[in-house]
Amino acid sequence: MQHGYWIRSKPVYTSLAWQYRAQAHMVLAHGEAGRAVLRLYQQRLPEQPVSVLYLVGDEEADYTASLRALAGDCLLTFTKQEALWAAFNAALASACMGTRLYAAGNEAFLWQVSTLAASHGVLHADIMREQPASLARPVYCVHCKTITPHVTTNIAVCSGCQRHLFVRDHFSRRLGAYMGLMVDAEAPGEVPAAEEIYP
Amino acid sequence: MSHLNVIVSAIADVAEGIRHFTLVDAAGRELPGFSGGSHVVVSMRAGARTYRNAYSLLSPPSDRSNYQIAVRLQENSRGGSRFMHEQVQVGTALEIAWPVNLFAISRVGRKHILVAGGIGITPFMSQAHDLLRTGANFELHYAFRSPRHAAFVDELRRLLGPRLKCYDQSQGQLLDPAALLSHQPLGTHVYVCGPGGMVDAVLDTAARLGWPDAHVHHEEFLAPPVGEPFAIRLAQSQRVVEVGAEESMLEAMEAAGVDVPYLCRGGACGRCELEVLATDGVLEHHDHYLSEDERRAGNKIMPCVSRAKCTFIELNL
Repeated sequence: MQHGYWIRSKPVYTSLAWQYRAQAHMVLAHGEAGRAVLRLYQQRLPEQPVSVLYLVGDEEADYTASLRALAGDCLLTFTKQEALWAAFNAALASACMGTRLYAAGNEAFLWQVSTLAASHGVLHADIMREQPASLARPVYCVHCKTITPHVTTNIAVCSGCQRHLFVRDHFSRRLGAYMGLMVDAEAPGEVPAAEEIYP
Repeated sequence: MSHLNVIVSAIADVAEGIRHFTLVDAAGRELPGFSGGSHVVVSMRAGARTYRNAYSLLSPPSDRSNYQIAVRLQENSRGGSRFMHEQVQVGTALEIAWPVNLFAISRVGRKHILVAGGIGITPFMSQAHDLLRTGANFELHYAFRSPRHAAFVDELRRLLGPRLKCYDQSQGQLLDPAALLSHQPLGTHVYVCGPGGMVDAVLDTAARLGWPDAHVHHEEFLAPPVGEPFAIRLAQSQRVVEVGAEESMLEAMEAAGVDVPYLCRGGACGRCELEVLATDGVLEHHDHYLSEDERRAGNKIMPCVSRAKCTFIELNL
């Protein structure tokens, strides 16, 4: 909806690229975003130790076999989010400065990585992020504080309070979600047709 | 620019060539609060010339009854440090700018490594008080030429205990940046202040080991180097200011009554940046604020430390 509109809080993502000046590398990816890690492995490999933490998606493509072929024993796979976060947390606790972090996934995943890393003193700017698959947004309802995951439309129903929310570009790094405001607050019942703009 | 009027209330020699000054408000009031790592710019009226140098505040930030600074007599002093050492006595009135902090401790850091060389210990004095007060995890690594050159080392030992690690060069004890930076936990920040070679060694080592830039902090106030005389043409006011061999562009413009912005006067902060419209020579950049790209573009200059080898330089001022 907000074409050509720039807002400072909206994150800008890049393509993953090895940071060769490093002591170690830790790569996290989720589901379909495993493809970003395959692309990373097509670049000249760094000399330092690499570990890849891959969360297998439920319905999305599963890149485990391809990743295993490239990363070998450096690959750890997870089928449950909780197990991935526990392993990542333990890895962060023993990591040294100079460990480069890379994350690929949807925005909810990218900012869970960032939030957990921040609890170990890693700044948001220290992590390289790629969003290779869905543009779907986690949306934070400013009325009932519920975060509705995977919203692909510009107007969506809040999973907490059922209000129709207008999805803004205003992004919270702390919450890892976009702001959603009641779209028909001024004229109750007048809800414009929703368009799928974050497929 | 607003300033504070202070009086020197005590002077002490704390190490070879390093003199410590205590400053109190001329009207007996409390001085403005500041944060660890702050500095003040001291104005020194030496005859027709006014020197302005930046000095870090040493005192605990919680104590607003006085400010403390330490001044090392520079071997090739342009006049500022010599003035402080030879002209200033107890009772001398000085003008200082309000405290400014270009070297603050990161609040989100998990651990802090402070690295000081010689007189570079000064910004860490106030930071150490702040870090102790907040209960932060930190270490201070202090390298000096010999015990005679180790200003404040006894005070720091009392204050910091095992958090202080000293490197006495006269005993062959050398600080190895790679050993220091290669095994630090994630979320560590490093801060370095000292001679140029030491600052470069720490910055280069951190970059090579993959420390993100935002975790690496340094403070290095430069003195304006001596050069050849040239003229500044001010495009907006249609004035010409002559710059002498031993004065900076900023000092020359101030002496001519031109109102020029500045903050650190040491090539660090970027506040005094001016636009260069033309020159018949080459710019000599000495600051560590402009990027390589900006230097190549050749249309910006930091008049506090940089100059030009030319007959004239035209500024958009």
